[in-house]
Amino acid sequence: MTADDTVGNVMQIMRAQRNGAVLICDGPKLVGVFTERDALKLMASGADFSTPVREVMSTDPVTIADSATVGEAIRKMSEGGYRHLPIIDRQQHPKGMLAVSGIVHYLVDHFPETVYNLPPDPKAKPREREGA
Amino acid sequence: MSAILCPYCEAENIEGTDECQACGKSLMELSRRIPATSVEADLLRDRIERLWPKSPSKVAPTTPVGDVLKRMVDERIGCVMVVDGDKLVGIFSERDALMKLNTDAPKFLTRPISQFMTTSPVTLETNDKIAFALHKMNLGGYRHIPILFHGKLAGVISIRDILRYLAERVVAKKHH
Repeated sequence: MTADDTVGNVMQIMRAQRNGAVLICDGPKLVGVFTERDALKLMASGADFSTPVREVMSTDPVTIADSATVGEAIRKMSEGGYRHLPIIDRQQHPKGMLAVSGIVHYLVDHFPETVYNLPPDPKAKPREREGA
Repeated sequence: MSAILCPYCEAENIEGTDECQACGKSLMELSRRIPATSVEADLLRDRIERLWPKSPSKVAPTTPVGDVLKRMVDERIGCVMVVDGDKLVGIFSERDALMKLNTDAPKFLTRPISQFMTTSPVTLETNDKIAFALHKMNLGGYRHIPILFHGKLAGVISIRDILRYLAERVVAKKHH
């Protein structure tokens, strides 16, 4: 989205794409981020949704390089309390967005035996020995 | 089907057998899978109470939407628990605000929150393993899970608490 788009337009796109945050770009350059949190504040204050997003977006967002490790991403998100990090390449161009849900999904994928082998209900135990 | 050898009498047993079919000694330790990494082992060992669930912000089902939104902003929280007396009846999160209110928010500010909350949220108990929370959050795409203690609402954990917990472990094990 661009900085000239209206807040209302941005919020409707977020709803349609089920995204918690969007990158605001000026050509190939990242200029800001608008998140669910920003949207919540506007809803609570009864703001005008026809204002351009540039007036309410967060500028100079903390970003992560596309070459960074998952461990670095976890640290960066945890330290800053961010749930989204724009991913940028060496030329500082935005490549995408890393969401905290993506990290959780990655971990579940990498510890499949730990996570997928859990019973659906933590309290359920088989009544008798199975198999064999 | 693979077989395991009894370390005591060397008889062949079916994998997963609790005791040796020949000598009767326990084989439990042999069939227990060893987690591949320490982070993974921690997830299976540590319980949700270890994340120090925060005390939840609670609102009544009749609370107007506008009041709930203000409270979420003022208290800097991502969700509130909707309780009817002692009973948890729903949860209202930033995501609900984005999906259900969006640009129509001004029209709905005086409506009761019960019309927009997510009913019957997934809950866990304080003594459940952290791996469960990870599983539920991934499966449902949730960022908050209400935590019960003996069936009563005791707290809430967020995906941020899990992230902090993981960050402590990846910092400690930088090369993992």
